[in-house]
Amino acid sequence: MSDRFRARLIAIGFLALVFVAAPAALTAFGKSYYWQVADLALIFALLAGSMHLVTGVAGLLQLGHAAFYGVGAYAAALLATKAGLSLAFTLPLAGLSAATIAVLVALPTMRLVSIYFAVATLAIGQMLYLIMLNWVEVTKGPNGIMLFSGMKFAGLDLSRPLPTYLVVAATVCVSLFVLHRLSHSYYGNALRALREDDQCADAMGVDTVRLKIEAFGVSGFFAGVAGALWAHTAGFISPPDFSFQTSILILAMVVVGGLGSLPGAVLGAFILILLPEALRPFGDFRNIAVGVVLFASILFVPKGLIGEVSALDFARRQLAGAWRRDGAGAEIGWR
Amino acid sequence: MDFYLQQLAIGLSVGMTYALIAIGFTLIFGVLNVVNFAHGEVYTIGAFAGLLVVTTFAPPLLAVLLAVLAVGAFVGVGLERLAFRPFRRFSDEASLKSRAMRESTLMSSLALSIIAREALEIAFGSRFQSVPVAAMINQPIALGPVTITNGDLIILGVAALMLIGLQYVLRHTQVGLSIRAVSNNPLGAKYVGVDVDRTIVWTFAVGSMLGAVAGVLVGFYYGAIFANMGFTPGVKAFVAMVMGGLSSIPGAVVCALLLGVCESLSTAFVSSVWSDMVAYGFLIVTLIFFPRGIFGGARERV
Repeated sequence: MSDRFRARLIAIGFLALVFVAAPAALTAFGKSYYWQVADLALIFALLAGSMHLVTGVAGLLQLGHAAFYGVGAYAAALLATKAGLSLAFTLPLAGLSAATIAVLVALPTMRLVSIYFAVATLAIGQMLYLIMLNWVEVTKGPNGIMLFSGMKFAGLDLSRPLPTYLVVAATVCVSLFVLHRLSHSYYGNALRALREDDQCADAMGVDTVRLKIEAFGVSGFFAGVAGALWAHTAGFISPPDFSFQTSILILAMVVVGGLGSLPGAVLGAFILILLPEALRPFGDFRNIAVGVVLFASILFVPKGLIGEVSALDFARRQLAGAWRRDGAGAEIGWR
Repeated sequence: MDFYLQQLAIGLSVGMTYALIAIGFTLIFGVLNVVNFAHGEVYTIGAFAGLLVVTTFAPPLLAVLLAVLAVGAFVGVGLERLAFRPFRRFSDEASLKSRAMRESTLMSSLALSIIAREALEIAFGSRFQSVPVAAMINQPIALGPVTITNGDLIILGVAALMLIGLQYVLRHTQVGLSIRAVSNNPLGAKYVGVDVDRTIVWTFAVGSMLGAVAGVLVGFYYGAIFANMGFTPGVKAFVAMVMGGLSSIPGAVVCALLLGVCESLSTAFVSSVWSDMVAYGFLIVTLIFFPRGIFGGARERV
């Protein structure tokens, strides 16, 4: 079986799972609540994927990711309610506004390393959270914003569960594909180089500051897109959705799945969203489950469920998206 | 003018509680070179322990404080066991300074802080627990034009006493000597016969005692105790520690007082909901312009 053929097969299988099997199962269950959980799991898979680029691949511990998610959600909600824009415009605009803020944040803080960077992002995340909570004239403060219009695209009404799910799944799949190409390529390798030793990478000609800012901006963009998806699917956003706890939840997803591994981040997101839902009959243990899963995974599987090495191997050989052979079958590297 | 004096007094007592928490951060960062993210939960647990003692026995304040000290020490030792010791399998220089060790303890303390907070919320509910009126420390005292409460004085007094006690422990006891030795150079201390693991346990016990007392004092001052109360003071104490230069205790105390006063004076100009911005703004400015802290000495890259 050729590499390309196997890669196509895996991709088709994955898409069939997301676009055929999952909606079929959800329709069979028929509860709208399950649709919301599925949307939420996909949105968090995108959030975990975007944090994976900054924290896993580029090695910058990010403790304020939920704030960029919030910026995207508020941008989408305000554009939809005040300007009456539809999803086709709010989605990219929300991503761009989150990316702009991420780059503005990144410019002064990129000199910092390790824990100092983590604390700076924590502080900035909290500042943005305070703005969402207290700038009542624009964000309506703790009351949050309602989106009555629902999801619309090119005149089609997408507010029923199935179309909403398909829109969310398509956006998340496209975004994850971009993140996959970014993290499993020469570009991703340059980011990994500055994670391992940024001074060494600098000496070898990698423009570390530019790369860090780009990675931060791209990660902010996709967090903003996830925020827009959340605003449109939930129809109601309020500041607690974007607090420090959410940042930690996203970080836990990335750590549980494996730092530096994109399939791991997606798997971690599914586990940490679906596990608390599965535990719901036994009482309200959703948040404590996050802590327990995070602690157990650091203690017992410190490399994560899908470690970085196996994730890279999978991406390069099985997906073949970044691995090329020349005509004679010799491996010529990946680009 | 009176208003400013009033806010100054409040700011000093708030700053003192930040100082007590910040010292715990500073001590632990000194010996292990890692950040203990569960320190804010030690503060919360201290407040809940004080509340339980007061509601069951109604003893005088001094007895409550002693009980909370004991609880704090216990929590600190347990925290070190669960979140830090399992990741300290090797004690050579490279792994003591390695990023993997630093990040795994950071995550494990974060995980434990989530577990502690949520467990408290399940046990007590997410609503404010109110402190019995008799146990609260907010009787007003008129001092000329300014009205302060006895809580302000108690917080200042207890914090000052604990700071003096801490200086005594660090300067004049065997434990303090070994804490200073380990924070100066862990490997060197090991070579001259200091039991590093024991010293780390002691450091956690001492740091957590200070944090727990801060929690119970603030809880009784405002009369409201809740599972999430440790987060904001924890972040502010962390800011004070970074501003003070990470391993300098006097620096952390001065910056904590500065932070408390600035925050409480800021309410004169903006609505009090924005006063948390002061701390985050200070942190960003410090990290960008004084990355070594205002009182810090030379240090590796930050």
